[in-house]
Amino acid sequence: MFSGAASTIATKVDSAFLFILVICVLMLLLITFLMVFFVIKYRRDKNPIPTNIEGNFLLEVVWTVVPTILVIAMFYYGWIGYREMETIPEDAMPVKVTAQMWSWSFEYENGTRSDELVVPINQPVKLELFSRDVLHSLFVPAFRIKKDVVPGIRTTLWFTGDEEGTYDLLCTEYCGLRHSDMLSRVVVMSQDAFASWMAGKTAHEAAEPAGRQLLESQGCLGCHSLDGSRIVGPTLKGIFGRKGRVLTDGAERDVVADEDYLRRSIVKPNADVVVGYPPIMPSQEGILSDEQIDAIIEYLKTLQ
Amino acid sequence: MNDMTAAAHGSHPSGLSYLEEPGRYGGIRSWLLTTDHKRIALLYLTSVLTFYAVGIALGVLMRLELLTPGETIVKPQTYNAIFTLHGVIMIFLFVIPGVPAIFGNFFLPLLIGAKDVAFPRINLFSWYLYIAGAFFAVTSLFTGGGPPDTGWTFYAPYSIRTGTNVSLAVFAAFVLGFSSILTGLNFVTTIHRLRAPGMTWTRMPLFVWATYATAWVQVLATPIIGITLLLVILERFFGVGIFDPEKGGDPILFQHLFWIYSHPAVYIMILPGMGVITEIIPVFARRTIFGYKAIAYSSVAIAALGSLVWGHHMFVSGQSYTANVIFSFITFLVAIPSAIKVFNWVATLYKGSILIAPPFLFALSFIFLFSIGGLTGLMQGALSVNVHIHDTYFVVGHFHYVMFGGTAYAFFAGLHYWYPKMFGRMYSQRTATLACTIMFIGFNMLYFTMLVLGLQGMPRRYYDYLPQFHTGHVIATVGSWILVSGLIVMFANLLIALRKGERAAADPWGGKTLEWQVPSPPPHENFEEIPVIDRGAYDYD
Amino acid sequence: MDQTHTASESSAVHRDDVGARIGMWLFLFTELILFGGLFLLYAVYRYLHPQEFHEAAKELNVVLGAANTLILLTSSFTMVMSISYIGEGEKKKSIAALGLTIALALAFLVNKYFEWTAKFHHGLYPNSPELAARSHGDNLFYGLYYSMTGLHGLHVLVGVVLLSVVLVYIVKDKVNPDNFIVLDNSGLYWHLVDIIWIYLFPLFYLIT
Ligand SMILES: [Cu+2]
Ligand SMILES: [Cu+2]
Repeated sequence: MFSGAASTIATKVDSAFLFILVICVLMLLLITFLMVFFVIKYRRDKNPIPTNIEGNFLLEVVWTVVPTILVIAMFYYGWIGYREMETIPEDAMPVKVTAQMWSWSFEYENGTRSDELVVPINQPVKLELFSRDVLHSLFVPAFRIKKDVVPGIRTTLWFTGDEEGTYDLLCTEYCGLRHSDMLSRVVVMSQDAFASWMAGKTAHEAAEPAGRQLLESQGCLGCHSLDGSRIVGPTLKGIFGRKGRVLTDGAERDVVADEDYLRRSIVKPNADVVVGYPPIMPSQEGILSDEQIDAIIEYLKTLQ
Repeated sequence: MNDMTAAAHGSHPSGLSYLEEPGRYGGIRSWLLTTDHKRIALLYLTSVLTFYAVGIALGVLMRLELLTPGETIVKPQTYNAIFTLHGVIMIFLFVIPGVPAIFGNFFLPLLIGAKDVAFPRINLFSWYLYIAGAFFAVTSLFTGGGPPDTGWTFYAPYSIRTGTNVSLAVFAAFVLGFSSILTGLNFVTTIHRLRAPGMTWTRMPLFVWATYATAWVQVLATPIIGITLLLVILERFFGVGIFDPEKGGDPILFQHLFWIYSHPAVYIMILPGMGVITEIIPVFARRTIFGYKAIAYSSVAIAALGSLVWGHHMFVSGQSYTANVIFSFITFLVAIPSAIKVFNWVATLYKGSILIAPPFLFALSFIFLFSIGGLTGLMQGALSVNVHIHDTYFVVGHFHYVMFGGTAYAFFAGLHYWYPKMFGRMYSQRTATLACTIMFIGFNMLYFTMLVLGLQGMPRRYYDYLPQFHTGHVIATVGSWILVSGLIVMFANLLIALRKGERAAADPWGGKTLEWQVPSPPPHENFEEIPVIDRGAYDYD
Repeated sequence: MDQTHTASESSAVHRDDVGARIGMWLFLFTELILFGGLFLLYAVYRYLHPQEFHEAAKELNVVLGAANTLILLTSSFTMVMSISYIGEGEKKKSIAALGLTIALALAFLVNKYFEWTAKFHHGLYPNSPELAARSHGDNLFYGLYYSMTGLHGLHVLVGVVLLSVVLVYIVKDKVNPDNFIVLDNSGLYWHLVDIIWIYLFPLFYLIT
């Protein structure tokens, strides 16, 4: 179509689109041509006496029946492509996708996590979509696939990438402040490259501190950077021991980010809100265990 | 139709038009407390156009922000509020009430030979509800947690989570819905009870048919959005949990209820516009309408079938496969009556004696733009294609072709067509033609580019975008400037004509329907004597 | 009916009882659809959580519910009486019957108040800690219970105000034996309120 097609389904979507497009363009040309032609031919100075024609039954039948046939053909073309989209192959590689404001996280069958979707070429991939908060929608234009991510419900999606490369993955269901930043990428690579990427990723993950893994898997890094830049919330770089002003019950006060403060900010994020930032962080109470929070705080101490 | 020769020459029997008639109250109260359908129409005209101007300004701001990637003029939170308000204002304050509340109010009684609508006081009350709704919508910007940022669709659960002032905005939409219901109820009763003697159903002007079908949709569909919005408010205040997934509520059910109303609402928006076009075409072709019955019944078919297609907004929502297939099929069927209308309009031009004047040019633009809107709708109706273009700029382009290119253009066409009747003066036709041309260029530059951007994968409601979409956004933004210039020329021309325009005759275009049989502007109770109808509405023999 | 009326009948100030009744019926349609949306939600959620709805319904007070059903049914009857009395020119009896209708409506509301407060005492109200600890089905049941009976109660309240206004009209002879379409239409509204309750009662209290 307009952006390069890179999945098996994409060519089918494009041909259905093309079929409908051709019919539509012809229709539009016909209507426009007749309209302009009549206006020129029958304008008042050329044709001062109109002819009254109340209708023509045959014509009415023709322009009811012909469009009916055409739209049924269009419906059929759209349907067969869609049927394939909804029929997930048995051998598809499952990947669990977690969406939350405003980040994507992909978890492979072996538990390895990534913030980019890396897949082998010519391998059907099945995405199981979960949302932590509100509606999101996973869209890969180059693959012509999209599905909403609905809290409380599991939705699924599948594709087979048939061209190596890196493709944009976007959120297409409005989800608040940073909806347009909720981007990721799909990387389609050869079977071998994928295998070594996976091995590397798994080894790397095992070596990473537990706190760091949690920050990533819980999507904390969608709002809090590690490099000092401002996203939605305050950066985590140098957070331990940092002095700052917070809003507590509507009153500003100075605090030092010690262990207690950090713990409270994770469990009851809206108790002390750093001045200048929106009070939108969801509480992690019941989501993270005490040990996990400890691990995160230990890791935060190292970010100086 | 009965002979009203005296009136047809533009002289008022009583000497006073509805604009001058003193009535029971004087001064501003003669407007604010009026029950005259024509004055109420003008109250709507003023208020609807005011909000339309606000909606346009917000649209222009949005385009300006999107001129460059990243921050151009506003922060993301502001941008999200702007597109929400642009949607809420345009849909609930301009497109839905536009044609029915203004032209329906003004011309429905005139077209059927009645002195007023069935319930004149409820009619005025509807306008006050409209104003109240608008007031709440505006208040929501400056109170509570700031302007709502949910998009006009108020999708749960974001709408029940966000800290912005969603409740008041939702309540505003609820009140506006109530206003819309009362208008619909009024029109249905009016058409059943107040047609002049001899005005059978098949002698009714087609604008009346369209209004009739619309009024039914207003009455039957609006309560659904009413209850849905009420539940959002209950959810936000008390947490009843009906749409909250944390308590077992189903966000997809919200979407069902929302679209059960909001898809038929698309027909509330477009049917009256189609009615306006159907009035204009035969007058300027000076011949009878081609296929009267086909056009009349297709309005009803659109209203009926259109109530069964709401699920096409949810093809990727996680709705079941079977439901998707059925909704897709009915969506394609609803295209047929729309196509029939277009063919009949074009056929009406055949062997006519065509006068090329601004109302007609707007009507032709309507047919072209609405056709693109309809045809791009077909592309979205096709399941596999829809998956790709759903929630992208393709959708945004499509519904602007339908609602702006369709409804708003029909509104402009109607405004230019009926202006001399409503105000008794004629605007500069050359300037109007110029405006129409400028707008046509700007419109296509803006919205056709959106269609292309959508196909490339540009999602809607994006504050920021990837570099490959930059060219498209620049073209669209420049298009928006051209379009707005055209709009300014058009409205300025009409405003100037209010004072400086030449006096208009009773029937400047050579129309045959009843409104052209009374003086311009019409007298207080329209008809000296109720006409007796003995022929069809478009009898040019 | 449309072609028969004469020109003067179309006047804006003309009284048209049939028109008024059409308008009222259309309005009642919209009310039915308003509640229809809620009934739809009830149906879906009941289908998804049959067991929880079954259990939760047992917690509601059938006696209070039945009493309210009886009250509303009686009030519908007194409403009809009021209309037929005014038609016969019996102004005083009509006023009495209408007054009784209003009293019954108030009794319904008082009853409802006690029923709700009792539930509140048991910690069963939206967002309560008690409900938060319970299943999704229970939350939805009570969410719907409060939304639907609440909206219905609001309609009863509107009815009380409406009927009171009409009562004053009768006293002032604005509503009289020759022109009682307002009372007639208010009666239609009141029957609608009654009918909705007749559906709500079994759905929440009886189907267990
Ligand atoms: Cu998003
Ligand atoms: Cu739709």
